[in-house]
This record gives sequence, C-alpha cells and structure tokens, in this order.
Amino acid sequence: MADDGGEEDQLPCFGQIVVGPPGSGKTTFCHGMSQYLTALGREVAIINLDPANHGERLPYKPAVDIEDLVSLEGVMSTLGLGPNGAIIYSIEFLEKNLDWLLDKLRAHRAKYLLFDFPGQAGVELFTHYTCIQNIVQTLQKHDYRLTAVHLVDAYHCSDASRFISVVLVSLMSMMRLELPHVNVLSKVDLIEQYGPLAFNLDFFTECTDMTRILDYIDAPARGADELDRDLQGAHERPQGDATSKKLSRLTREICDVVESFGLVSFTTLDIQDGESVGRVLSKIDKANGYVVQSAAAAAAAQQGRDPRAAANALFQSAFSGNEADYEHLASVRERHMGRTSGDDT
Amino acid sequence: MSGFAAEGGEVEATGGDEADHAGVAGEAAAAAGEGAARRKPVVCIVLGMAGSGKTTLLQRINLQMNSSDKQGYYINLDPAVTQVPFGANIDIRDTVNYKEVMAQYGLGPNGGIMTSLNLFATRFDQVIGLMEARSDSAEGLDYVFVDTPGQIEVFTWSASGQIITESLASAFPTCLIYVIDTPRTTSPTTFMSNMLYACSILYRTRLPMVLAFNKSDVTSPDFAAEWMSDFEKFQEALDETADESYMGSLNRSLSLVLDEFYSTLKHVGVSAATGEGIDQLFQSLDAAGDEFIRDYLPDLQARMAAVAARTQAAKEREMTKLMADVAVTRGDKPLREGGEGDAMDSSNSG
Repeated sequence: MADDGGEEDQLPCFGQIVVGPPGSGKTTFCHGMSQYLTALGREVAIINLDPANHGERLPYKPAVDIEDLVSLEGVMSTLGLGPNGAIIYSIEFLEKNLDWLLDKLRAHRAKYLLFDFPGQAGVELFTHYTCIQNIVQTLQKHDYRLTAVHLVDAYHCSDASRFISVVLVSLMSMMRLELPHVNVLSKVDLIEQYGPLAFNLDFFTECTDMTRILDYIDAPARGADELDRDLQGAHERPQGDATSKKLSRLTREICDVVESFGLVSFTTLDIQDGESVGRVLSKIDKANGYVVQSAAAAAAAQQGRDPRAAANALFQSAFSGNEADYEHLASVRERHMGRTSGDDT
Repeated sequence: MSGFAAEGGEVEATGGDEADHAGVAGEAAAAAGEGAARRKPVVCIVLGMAGSGKTTLLQRINLQMNSSDKQGYYINLDPAVTQVPFGANIDIRDTVNYKEVMAQYGLGPNGGIMTSLNLFATRFDQVIGLMEARSDSAEGLDYVFVDTPGQIEVFTWSASGQIITESLASAFPTCLIYVIDTPRTTSPTTFMSNMLYACSILYRTRLPMVLAFNKSDVTSPDFAAEWMSDFEKFQEALDETADESYMGSLNRSLSLVLDEFYSTLKHVGVSAATGEGIDQLFQSLDAAGDEFIRDYLPDLQARMAAVAARTQAAKEREMTKLMADVAVTRGDKPLREGGEGDAMDSSNSG
C-alpha cells in the first residue's frame, strides 16, 4: 500500500466503471455524467481504458488515457493482430503494467473517477480472460471504491425474451466484476423507435416480480394494454406456443434466481436530461458508499455538537430518495412512450 | 456502394441428388404452404467469439460437403476478414468495401464493421431471393452456412444482426451453431460465463442452438460433456474455484439454471483441423432443422403477427389523437367557454 503517499492516499477514492456492449453509449455516458458532476461541484477525472477510443473521436478530454501506454494501431501493425485481438492484447498489457495506471491515478485521487472500459471485445474479455477482473481487484486493493455501471441500449428491452437476454448478460458481467452493480437502460428517449414496447416500463426497472415475465412470454399475441389490465387475474396461456413451453422451465429458473438474489434491476437514462442523470447517479453513489462518505464528512463537522443528530443525518441521507421512483417512471413514460396518462402502476 | 454483385465462387458439389428426408420434406412443404415436394435447406448461422475457429470450421464443412452428395451454400457476413477459405456464394465484401466505409464515415474498426453490416442488411431481401432461387433450382440445396463477423457483439447485439437472422428464419428453417474455443474454456467459471452468454443468445434469437466444441484435437471436450450431463460434477469443479462468498452461492444457483439450458440444445465435439465430429455435427443440424419447423416456426409467426398488431394499434392510437386534434382546431369541439373560433392555439394534445 502507499507508504510514500501523502494524506490523500489514505482517503478512499470513489468512482464508476462503465461497461456494456458496443453502442450502448458508454463514452457518451462518461461525457454526460462528468458534465453533471461538474455542475454539482464535484471534481471529476475520466480515465479512458478503451483502446479503441481514439483521442480525436472522444467527446471528453481524458485525465488518463490508455493510448499513452499502448497504441491499438501499433499493436495491430507490429503484431499483425485484428482489432479484437489488439484490444485484448492492450488490456493484458495494461494488466501487466498496473503500476503505470496507479501512478497516473495518484494525481487524481481527490477527484471522482469515471473509467471508460472497452465495449468491443468486451465479451471475450469477460469470459475468456481474467485481466479485467485483476485490474478491478487491484484498484480495490488500493481503496478505489467503484460501482460497476452496466449500460444497455433500452431498445434491447422491446420484448420479454430480449429482456431476459439482457438480464443474463448483466448477470455475467456482475459475476466477473464482483463490484456493486447498477444496470442502466440507456437512450430511453429512443426506446419506442423500433416499435411499441410489449409492456410497461416499470417492469424492467423494478424487476422484483420476475415470474410475471412468464405471462408475457407465453402470450405474445395479445395487445399491450390488455396485458396491463390483466395483471391481477389468472391468465389463459395459449396452447400453440411450443418454443415458450420449451423455454418456460428455463425462464422460470432464471426468474427464480434473479428474484431470490434480488440482483437485477434497471434504471432508465436519458443522458440529455439532468434529472435522469441525477437519479442514476444517486443509485451509483449509494452502491459504492459515496453517499455515506460525503454525509459522514458533513456529520463529522458537527460531531462535537450532537453526535446522535449527526448519525441520524448520516442514515437519512444514505437511505432517502426511493419514494419518488414511481412518479419518475410515470414521467419517463409520458415523455418517451406513446401511452396516455391513464396508465398507472 | 454499388449494387449487388453477382454470385461468385459457386461451390459445385459432385452429384446432384436431393437429400433423402421424405418425412421431413412433407412437413416442411406443408409448413411452407407450397405444393413442392422439395425440402427447404437448413440455414446454419455460425456464431462464436473471435478465435473460436468459425471460419476454419466452415472450411472443414465445405470439404466434407464436397465429398458427399449434399448441396451447400455459403454466405460470408464478415466484412473485415482477409481470406475466406471456403469459397463463398455470397460475400458481404463484394457489396461493401469495409475500408472505404471506415474512411468515408470516419469510423474506427468496430464502427466500420457495424456500418458495413447495416448497409448489407438493407439489401438482405436480395440475398433471400438468391437463396430461394438456388433452392428451387435443379440441384436444390441442403444446407446454407452463414459466417458472421469475428466480433460476436456486432451480430448478436445489433439491429442489423437481428434483421438478418429474422429474414433468414422467416424464409428457411434456421438454427445457430455456437462455436466454442474448447482449450480456453476449461475453467468452470469461464465455462459458466460462456454458457450464460450462449443462453443470452438463445433468448435474443429464439432459434434452436447447437454447441460446437471446437479444437477437440487440442483439448478433448469430454469435460464439457460431463459438466453438461452431470450437475454434481460441475458443482464440484465450481466449488474448487469459488468460495463461500455471495458470488459462490450465486454461481451455484446459476449452474442450476444452466443445467436446464443444456436440456434445450445439442452439443458436439468437433475439430476443424482433423474433421473429427463433423458427421455428428451434420446430424445435429438436421435435428435442429426439424426442431425449428416443429417448435420454433409457430412461435416466430406468432411473434411477427404480434409486432404487426402492436404497430398497427400504435398507429391507430396516433390517428385517433390526430383526428381529435383536427376536430378541436376546426372548432367542432370548443375547449373552453367562448373558445369556439379561437381554438387555433395548440390545445393539450396529450
């Protein structure tokens, strides 16, 4: 651990690791989130660890850039690797040279960090290689308190089956990163671009009653509004859906795991909407403990006067903010989806 | 981007006898609603992570087909591949110049592949047409193999990948071959991640899946077969690596899920290098084709109908709203007292 560092090294450093498939909006997220944080008065540093993100194409100016350590083009031409192979090589190279990263990060220790991770080749890096895990674990050993923010394009939730697919991939990345994990449905402003959603937005974001999804998978031919109204009563399951029968046991098992571990819930995000960004941020801050840390700092300030009041303030700040979720969802629905305000949850 | 280039590099198999699948042919014809006694070819979309050996496997399949009386057809959808060793009938590279796309649109390698695939997807109905023409021709067609881009997410997580998959499945019995790099998948956690990803693909595409454990000449896939048939063995292996932590317990619950997943698919150990297991692979593909017609086709048709119905319902909602607005602005329905003729301002139109 840091024996040569100053006082700053002893304070934990908070941040986000942004992961997700290519096209999910990670780089845009880092940019938008950093602008929001700056507006809040929080100092931010963006760390670009995506070798395929090139300086001139980045909307933000990274405080640390993997390109300074290893160049994708250089690897491709010198080693004759394709783009995927070169990205994997670059991350493995970073893993072998973590001192470089830790050293660069030291200057930004007092700031809030956003790590832009590779999207492309992300699947291979998560399944076949341990470099990402090792990088994350090393950061944690140096007291970087990180939340994994897993972005998925909201379009991928256009039906129940695809949503389960998204849940599985989220589970996969959760298991590999072993970090507090927040799933974000990005580009929610575009969510109905490819057609109306099969069912209510809050289903995705709440995800507590996953077995409901079985009803939706089994009854594809019914209208969305019909299904919504039907939720309380028993449903008839149409006979002819052989694939659903085939997959229904599997689906049920997946739902059981997700529910019993209380793992997977999603938050919607429209990066251009400050309120939306704020809500995602509050979940992220709760996940890695930043909210407690900052409240603790405030509490410590009045520690001398009334320790109990300070503790109360601490708990209040940590656990507040959940009550307005339903109103928020209703407003997201109104703004981005073609439904009338007659719906309620 | 120029128009569709003519097919080049046709694979000429020896002999031209139609495959003997009388029972299935009848079923397929009935399902397809045609009077023809000809069986439709099974389309096999080859997916797998970069380096798993998709293209090499197709080369081996091509060799095997050449020495049999079966007719094969090959489509390459990887715009960035430098060499296609199996002689593609349709090659995305004939239509889309990947480097040119990158230059013109100012994209990186990933964006270039994505955009090339997008461009190709807009013309995909032509591909279907060519396939159908070949299938209806004198020699007929038994199998179509589709090689996908090395970057698996470009196909499995994109709208164009979805469009291509659905276009194929609407016209032909379609299945997925998920190629696994066996030597790299020997650790239980890696195995589990790989299987979870395969499961996510199953839910995205809702098509029958065949797992091909490739490079069996390097590492025998017997361990995989054991883990997939004996849940306890997999648990033991997992317990050696995982611990009693939260993640350990999640691992165990997920392996139960995977156990159920395995029962929905077939798996084969193959070696693209030696040709081992290829016969079994073909048997699995035939079975997957039958499975498609029996179990997956009705579901696909129902889903397409559902999407059409939802889109239609949405259109009707919008139209109703529009008509209401028009009625208001024309003064048919005054909004407030004394507001008849003044209702030209934008009312609360929802």
